[in-house]
Amino acid sequence: MLDAFSRAVVAADTKTAPIGAAEIAELKTFIANGNKRLDVVNAISSNASCIVSDAVSGMICENTGLIQSGGNCYPNRRMAACLRDGEIILRYVAYAVLAGDASVLEDRCLNGLKETYTALGVPTTSTARAVGIMKAATVAFANNTASKRKSDYISGDCSSLAAEAASYFDRVIAAVS
Amino acid sequence: MKSVVTTVISAADAAGRFPSSSDLESVQGSLQRAAARMEAAEKLAANIDAVAQEGYNACFKKYPYLNETGEAGENQVKKDKCLRDIKHYLRLINYCLVVGGTGPLDEWGIAGAREVYRALNLPTAPYVTAMTFMRDRGCAPRDMSAQALVEYNGLLDYVINSLS
Repeated sequence: MLDAFSRAVVAADTKTAPIGAAEIAELKTFIANGNKRLDVVNAISSNASCIVSDAVSGMICENTGLIQSGGNCYPNRRMAACLRDGEIILRYVAYAVLAGDASVLEDRCLNGLKETYTALGVPTTSTARAVGIMKAATVAFANNTASKRKSDYISGDCSSLAAEAASYFDRVIAAVS
Repeated sequence: MKSVVTTVISAADAAGRFPSSSDLESVQGSLQRAAARMEAAEKLAANIDAVAQEGYNACFKKYPYLNETGEAGENQVKKDKCLRDIKHYLRLINYCLVVGGTGPLDEWGIAGAREVYRALNLPTAPYVTAMTFMRDRGCAPRDMSAQALVEYNGLLDYVINSLS
């Protein structure tokens, strides 16, 4: 597992060069924005169950066949598995945002996920839709624009962090599609 | 690679929970100390050739026998390799300063070093001399700030301990 700092180290090691001023300037930005990053991770963790249940119910609303007999969210046992998977994916995205690097998400969550879902007969379009809703919710929480859950922390520009979080969700969608 | 962030994530993942507020506090603590480490890494990277050369000179001054036939520094090729190795250690120290842990030194410098030095019949004492010289030579605030020097010297001591 890598973070933003060890990613720079691995990149420099392939060139057998020390990490110079240019790379360090980039890492200094990461350090300077550290508090924002922690706020975003906190926002995701604190609202995890809300984000996940919203995404799964949104997915079902758009495709009610899922909860009818023979659908992939019927009966409750399979719906529960769906909610659990949504939470697992969101958790690994939160780790990736905290680390500032996607390696933990790739290695521990996405590697083999598509094969598992194919074997279990999980529909990938529905999965991708639920992840898409989680992405939209996370972006809203990161920018503190979630209509009913505004936090009082000092407001600032978190758009680059929101974009970074969105890119991790895009990786999930690409991995299962 | 081991760092504060990856340790925190591994622990949270093992328990299957989201990062808790205490996890975030640990990361915050590491980021607060990062400025000094980055300063040390930057200054070291800018002067790595000069620093390595000084360490190299110190070990050949203390152990002139290395120049004799059959010893580890008998010809220019071997001397160059010695300088290269010292620079390797400094580069790994630069990485450790960036990561904020000893992961790069442990994984790429220390693991297997004993076996390699024995197989090639290399003495480790000259390396220790070079590292010790570089540690004692560093001076705050001439080279870097006091806190940065503490971080840098700590890693040099880590290498010295691994070699002695």
